[in-house]
Amino acid sequence: MKQEMAAPVVPDWFEAGRTPRARIVARWVPWVMVGIPVVVLLAIVVYPTVWMAYHAFQDTNMMGLFTGRYSYVGWQNFANVLSDPRFHNSVVNLGWYLTFGATLEVLLGTALALVLYELVPRPGLRVVLLVAMVLPMMLPPSIVGVLWKFLLQANNGAVNHLLINLGLMAPSERIDWLGVELSLTSLVIADVWQWTALPLLIVYSGRVSLPPAIYEAARVDGASRFTVLRRLTLPMLKEIIAIAFILRFMDAYKFVDKVYVMTSGGPAQSSELPVFIAFQKGIREFQIGEAAAYAWLIFVVAAVVITLFLQYLKRVLKAQAFA
Amino acid sequence: MSETTARAIRFLLLAFLGVWLFFTLFPFYFQLITSLKPVAEINRMIPTFWPEVLVPGNYAGIFADPGSLKALQDSLIVALANTALSLFLGTLAGYALARYLKGPVGENLAFWILSNRMFPPVAVLIPMFFLFDNTPWGTDSYFSLIVLYLVFNLPLATWLMMVFFRDAPVELEEAAYVDGWKPFQAFFRVTLPLVLPGMISVAMLCFIFAWNEYLFANLLTGTNVKTFPVHIPTFTQGSQTLWNLVMAFSLVAMLPPVIMFVLLRRYMVRGLSLGVVKG
Repeated sequence: MKQEMAAPVVPDWFEAGRTPRARIVARWVPWVMVGIPVVVLLAIVVYPTVWMAYHAFQDTNMMGLFTGRYSYVGWQNFANVLSDPRFHNSVVNLGWYLTFGATLEVLLGTALALVLYELVPRPGLRVVLLVAMVLPMMLPPSIVGVLWKFLLQANNGAVNHLLINLGLMAPSERIDWLGVELSLTSLVIADVWQWTALPLLIVYSGRVSLPPAIYEAARVDGASRFTVLRRLTLPMLKEIIAIAFILRFMDAYKFVDKVYVMTSGGPAQSSELPVFIAFQKGIREFQIGEAAAYAWLIFVVAAVVITLFLQYLKRVLKAQAFA
Repeated sequence: MSETTARAIRFLLLAFLGVWLFFTLFPFYFQLITSLKPVAEINRMIPTFWPEVLVPGNYAGIFADPGSLKALQDSLIVALANTALSLFLGTLAGYALARYLKGPVGENLAFWILSNRMFPPVAVLIPMFFLFDNTPWGTDSYFSLIVLYLVFNLPLATWLMMVFFRDAPVELEEAAYVDGWKPFQAFFRVTLPLVLPGMISVAMLCFIFAWNEYLFANLLTGTNVKTFPVHIPTFTQGSQTLWNLVMAFSLVAMLPPVIMFVLLRRYMVRGLSLGVVKG
């Protein structure tokens, strides 16, 4: 609160021609303007998070919550979660999901963006192709789940029959995409299909905004295209690619829409992710205490990643003479 | 590198682009033809890649179904109300942060506001499920969704409006003050027109995020209020999913975001990269 009292940096012209009383009001107006969203976020984000922190140490369940009868159990909930094979399994799944989802999306997106910009000569065609490749991003993630569930059906799904028609698969060896072995892979495929578009779009726009003069100079010096890519383009796009990666990483970490629609975590928990289990425990099984412990473990990891990311973002923006 | 190798590499890279385009567009093609097929043709053991009969009536079917119209209406109400609220609060806060609160406190506040968007909603949603139960509106209401979507849209709107206000030259505003304009006059008649394209793109991003949201809507609502991402998977007749209606409806629901994106691509890239890419 002490910091709040610090006077905002007000330009001279803002105070010119005001009465002393109006100046005091004017100094507070910006704080009120920022204060409203801050209060809203305190109410809808911070308060629930604290609520969860409290219940992470209680044995709260559905009945307990409504009758107010629950008791302090110390770190029991955390111990339960950390020793639960279901949790271990979901962390391994998440590792696969993030590695092959987020990483592949950024690698593919970057490659596609650069191929599109460097090798497709006509600007009009480039825009058309870009819009075509970004279309999947415009569908709700849940509908992408529905669509891919339909395409990947084992018996009469389009993907299996496309593979058969192309001669890549024998009709007797249809792949059970949503079975135990491949359900997680199928989730990753649907995710990559949808979200490669985001790094693609960001990196493409970043490439467009690079100054042409540098490239002209490199061309005059006789640098090969590969050298230009390695020495000029990639170093200049480094920050943008990193930010695209972190944005994808965070979204893949926290959202489970596709899991709900495509597999519901199954079959046999083969595609469960920690966030999915936390929701199941909290809202379907009403094990509030344990769900809160799950949520807090997820939250702590997120807090570390977000802090690092925001510091990085600050540096990038400062380098742009922005912040 | 010889001329031949260079050509071969170029060809391979373009082939990669071609394969990706096929991978991207094939699901849409199949979605489109499924939306035009009769149910009997969809349920065959061997799917047809070129529909034998076209049934444009599936699209009329959506608009004849009261549940679907209600879903579109609910989605529209929630998305528009939330967008308006996010944009209004975000514009005020973004302006204050960009112009007046430039010290370390304001800067940290801005980053804190943004950080709210990045946290997993799991820590928010479970308590909210029980907390909204105690409000007169209950969990299953427009109110709960409009408020909860602020979790991701309000930080985004505030942050991006701050970015756009910083881009707008402060000199014009100063000139207005020197001419004796009142703060609100200067804000509405000088600065706001300058950031209008940015505001429109922020509004559209907020709209798209709210329009496409599934997780909150699925867990909190579903009876009184049912937005289209929750409604679409429920097109069933007995145990049979009516895939033609599912696909037709999802294509229709995709139109607003696609149109917005085509119109305002550059500004949206700015927004999607949190202001880093100038677009």
